[in-house]
Amino acid sequence: MINSTSHAARPLSVLICALGGEGGGVLSDWLMDIARKAGYAALATSIPGVAQRTGATTYFFELYPVPIEQLAGRKPVFSLNPIPGALDVVIASELLEAARCASNGLPSSDRTVFITSTSRTLTTAERTIMGDGRLDTSALLALVQSVSRVHHAFDMQRVAADNATVVSAVMLGALAASGVLPFDRALCEEVIREGGRGAQASLHGFAAAWQMIAQKNQQAAQAQQLINLIGDTEKKLPELSGFPIEIMDMLSLGYDRVNDYQDKAYGQLYLSRVQSVLDAERRADTASQNGFQTTREMSRWLALWMSFDDIVRVADLKSRASRRERVRHEARVKPSDVLAVYEHFKPGIPEIAGLLPKPVADRLLAWDQQRLAEGKEAWSMPVKLASHTVLGTALLRLIAACKYIRRFGIRYAQEQTLIEEWLSAVIAGMAEDTQLGYELALCGRLMKGYGATNERSRDHVLHVMRHVATTEHTTPAVRADAIRRAREAALTDEAGTQLDRVLKELGAPARPIKAQPIRWMPRTKNTN
Amino acid sequence: MEISFKKQIQQLKLGEGEVFHGEGILAITKALLQSGVSYIGGYQGAPVSHLLDVMVQARELVGELGVRVEACSNEASAAAMLGASIHYPVRGAVTWKSIVGTNVAADALANLSSPGVTGGVLMVIGEDYGEGASVVQERTHAYAMKSCMLLLDPRPELSVMVDMVEHAFAMSEASNMPAMMELRIRACHVRGSFVCKDNRTAAVSTKSLMSEPAPFNYSRLAHPPVTFGHEKRKIEHRLPAARQYILDHKLNELHAGEHDSVGIIVQGGLSNALLRSLQQFGLADAFGQTQVPLLVLNVTYPLVPDQIAHFVENKKAVLVLEEGAPEYIEQEIATLLNRRELPTRLHGKDMLPVAGELTPEVMMGGLQQFFAQHLPAIDTMQVKAALDATVARRNSMASKLDQTLPARPPGFCIGCPERPVFSALKLAQKDVGEVHIAADIGCHSFATFEPFSMGHSILGYGMSLASRAGVSPMMQRRVLSIMGDGGFWHNGLLTGVQSALFNGDDAVLLIFKNGYTSATGTQDIISTPTTQLKTQTHDKLASLTANNRTIEDTLAGIGVQWMRTVHSYRVATMRDVLKEALTTDFNGLKVIIAEGECQLERQRRIRPWLADLLSRGQRVMRVKYGIDDDVCNGDHACIRLSACPTLTLKDNPDPLKVDPVATVIDGCVGCGLCGENAHAATLCPSFYRAEVIQNPHWHEKLLSGVRQRMLRLLQPA
Repeated sequence: MINSTSHAARPLSVLICALGGEGGGVLSDWLMDIARKAGYAALATSIPGVAQRTGATTYFFELYPVPIEQLAGRKPVFSLNPIPGALDVVIASELLEAARCASNGLPSSDRTVFITSTSRTLTTAERTIMGDGRLDTSALLALVQSVSRVHHAFDMQRVAADNATVVSAVMLGALAASGVLPFDRALCEEVIREGGRGAQASLHGFAAAWQMIAQKNQQAAQAQQLINLIGDTEKKLPELSGFPIEIMDMLSLGYDRVNDYQDKAYGQLYLSRVQSVLDAERRADTASQNGFQTTREMSRWLALWMSFDDIVRVADLKSRASRRERVRHEARVKPSDVLAVYEHFKPGIPEIAGLLPKPVADRLLAWDQQRLAEGKEAWSMPVKLASHTVLGTALLRLIAACKYIRRFGIRYAQEQTLIEEWLSAVIAGMAEDTQLGYELALCGRLMKGYGATNERSRDHVLHVMRHVATTEHTTPAVRADAIRRAREAALTDEAGTQLDRVLKELGAPARPIKAQPIRWMPRTKNTN
Repeated sequence: MEISFKKQIQQLKLGEGEVFHGEGILAITKALLQSGVSYIGGYQGAPVSHLLDVMVQARELVGELGVRVEACSNEASAAAMLGASIHYPVRGAVTWKSIVGTNVAADALANLSSPGVTGGVLMVIGEDYGEGASVVQERTHAYAMKSCMLLLDPRPELSVMVDMVEHAFAMSEASNMPAMMELRIRACHVRGSFVCKDNRTAAVSTKSLMSEPAPFNYSRLAHPPVTFGHEKRKIEHRLPAARQYILDHKLNELHAGEHDSVGIIVQGGLSNALLRSLQQFGLADAFGQTQVPLLVLNVTYPLVPDQIAHFVENKKAVLVLEEGAPEYIEQEIATLLNRRELPTRLHGKDMLPVAGELTPEVMMGGLQQFFAQHLPAIDTMQVKAALDATVARRNSMASKLDQTLPARPPGFCIGCPERPVFSALKLAQKDVGEVHIAADIGCHSFATFEPFSMGHSILGYGMSLASRAGVSPMMQRRVLSIMGDGGFWHNGLLTGVQSALFNGDDAVLLIFKNGYTSATGTQDIISTPTTQLKTQTHDKLASLTANNRTIEDTLAGIGVQWMRTVHSYRVATMRDVLKEALTTDFNGLKVIIAEGECQLERQRRIRPWLADLLSRGQRVMRVKYGIDDDVCNGDHACIRLSACPTLTLKDNPDPLKVDPVATVIDGCVGCGLCGENAHAATLCPSFYRAEVIQNPHWHEKLLSGVRQRMLRLLQPA
């Protein structure tokens, strides 16, 4: 590609896709300095704008691959914009930005060496979804591959982190190693060294990236790893004999969870509930063509619903030794350091009442309702509990011990009735049509968490179960599909706007409007 | 300031024959010194912030040259500064981003260009247009025409840009017209090199003062009746003088080419894109040697009729490559052809899109049509194929994706003190209902993006309070106006606060007092904590904005009766104060000041300090927030309330659960918002605050050791 005699040689174009604050400016400077030292004419430009505030941005670099002294004083004219299809290298520090560049039609499979990080920095849109809004990494990789002449993929952020440096140094290493630019390694390292502060770390990052590109097959393997999905582990328990092997992994996990949550007896209740679904599925799907998919999902969601979150559970989880270790690891605590951990709790009346028997609980809740009626805030107790202190942990263990009185609380009772309602809905649905049962089982996914979140998700599940599942004059298949759409809609936004839209389309009744105290603001007449 | 320009400042000292390597905007800065300016001013804004930032940081160096550097309070004050050159033979330069800055400066510019200037005047204009732009899409060109100012649009080649700066001053003096030089974003940030000249000390400077003021001269005032004379002079003297200068010094470049039946007239700033496009047709080589005649307009106003007439005569057709709308240049040329009865066919926006940037891809499309029609001998099929291939590629990409890729707009930084306020506002609106939000220019306008999606209007910098004057009287609920301290000083105090008070408006103003104009690169303003304070303060971790009360004192002085200052990280308090402001019986102007230093500046200050403490083995506490995977309910309500870049998702480690859990990744600066939100919004109890004490005191170690041992007894595995 680099033909120093040819005067028809064309400039080499490099597009750098990065996020604001990743040192793309430094990278541009490095490239310009290297080009100068190597004796080539070059140009770099960028469009930072306000992208320094974590937004997406690009940097553009062009180099004329004939040494200046062979140009007889003539100056190459460089472009300030990339030309679609005429890029020699595209390098991206983040996979979505690589895909964005690809979808803009800039790289092309006949010319472009495409170097991309496999790491993702999730966009707000992806993070705010209630379910899983993350883009499919393998799809993005495939997209990038499809417009590459040569394709390198590796986790640049990891390499940068491992070498305690910034991603720009890693990108330079990859770029230099790709061999498209007439840069020799020593020169690159010399320029980095002149950077002074942090140069050593940068050099390590540079070298690591160079290695990565040097050994192609490794990247292929890594890209593959990402495309593969992680399989579940399998475990066996005597109590579980008699259940089909297809569901064993889920079932054993679920059984452990429920046991750990309450006790053996509760675990037995779990197994019997799963059994009832299994029987229903066996009846409906005699040839078990679906590999007991409904029972499998049911054993997942049932376990999670039965081990519903409450302060007891939270206190238990937060006061385990394993958890202390996890925090030490996440906060990168060195042995010589001292660690203090504060838990952010804000239990309200409903959470506390949930643990109490009906008469007492009702009185408490009534009192809380009264407060709201008077325009006051619902009562709650914000605590920053110091779990690293003996007292703090002792308190947590005390609450965790309430696990034995949980059974007598109203929350437990409520959850069990709802679970039974769901269970029978699934079984009934199964009798009508296997798919209908399956979709109903998956509605367990809507059951989430704690406090307000839990209330909201519960309403969604019940509404779908009671209204969408039983709409009349429709075939089970239609209803199954309706349930799927409603369920997916319910996961998209908090307010349930999507759900309402879908419900409307399906002709199902809209969700009942929740009473919410809004302070009325009468505007007293303006003084002038 | 966000960036330190130590290295670049050294380059400003370079002398005759030495080679400057660096960014376009810094080359321009060097060129100003080479042109012997006496004063420099301006208002920061991408893409020209660096010019002013460098100058402010280089006050010492430029001081030696006797140059006065003024960081003006807005573009109007920068433009007014140029008034010095009306009477006195001093060269002055100012800078700002356009179109917005030029709009703000317009009044002063009109009154400057009416009497005209004696000393050379140059405005370095960041033409913030197209990809990466952050302002409205209008052309500075209109101002050059309406106020009769020179407009230069140099070829984006450092040596050319630098020469043009020196010519701009000379031409401004020769024609008495103020000069503007528009630089597109990519031109400001282009990296290249040029051979320097020595910096020039001006005859009149802070080093050699004028002894007497100029004698009174009514004709130097923009005041009737002399303004009528000014109008005549513009037409009869100044424009001709400018045109003569352009011809004499060959500022516009004429390139001959064998295909002389056609020609292309192009704005200088676009010429690189044009040459690269011509290369694709095989009509130019890598060094800009073209086969099609070109007229490159490094000066786009005024045009030189004779030059253009001479270029187009005996040509079948010419194509005008002009960016933006309306196509003023093309229209002027059309008039010219018509008046001179020249038969040449004129093309431009008929073959190119009227709106949007003229990137090489877009140009190639226009050129392909032009050549196909007027140079049939040229094979344009190859280019056409390439263009079609690109379109095909885009479509196939789109078809491969089952959804459009999510955008990644700029957002609040990690630990930004403005994010918590919008969390609080989100919560407040849950109680008092949705309110009309008059938004403004500044980092806080990032709240218009997800997950906040707040702000009904943006009427300009510091305009939020003024922009609700017509809304709030018509609205049952109160209206909230949001303003940064940058906007407040830029003009919000006068256009907003003063007007609201004078009219006794029932208004609510939320001021973000983060201490800097952060969005443009954290430049200092009058309410910035003093350097002295930064160095002397004992607790460097604390936000220092509270120590500068200029905003509070000003508001009190002008007569604001209802004012609350809240630390921006106190989400619950902020929520309650917002609710109070929106519901109180007090009918006048209510001002809430959200106190919290810009995190970028705070980190710039404390990072080296902490590093130093650690290296000296001293006690340092580091805070990181975390989330318990097994408690997190995968509902992501916390992210919808904050969207901090370090609060993101990871695969759920629990094989039973499918939805990803929230996680706090490295980079968390421990601002505390997660905890505040968890409480204020009653989120799930999965958040914990980890305080890591490095180099702890001996008794802390001892206590912790004892605790560890006892906890082991209490805790199950």
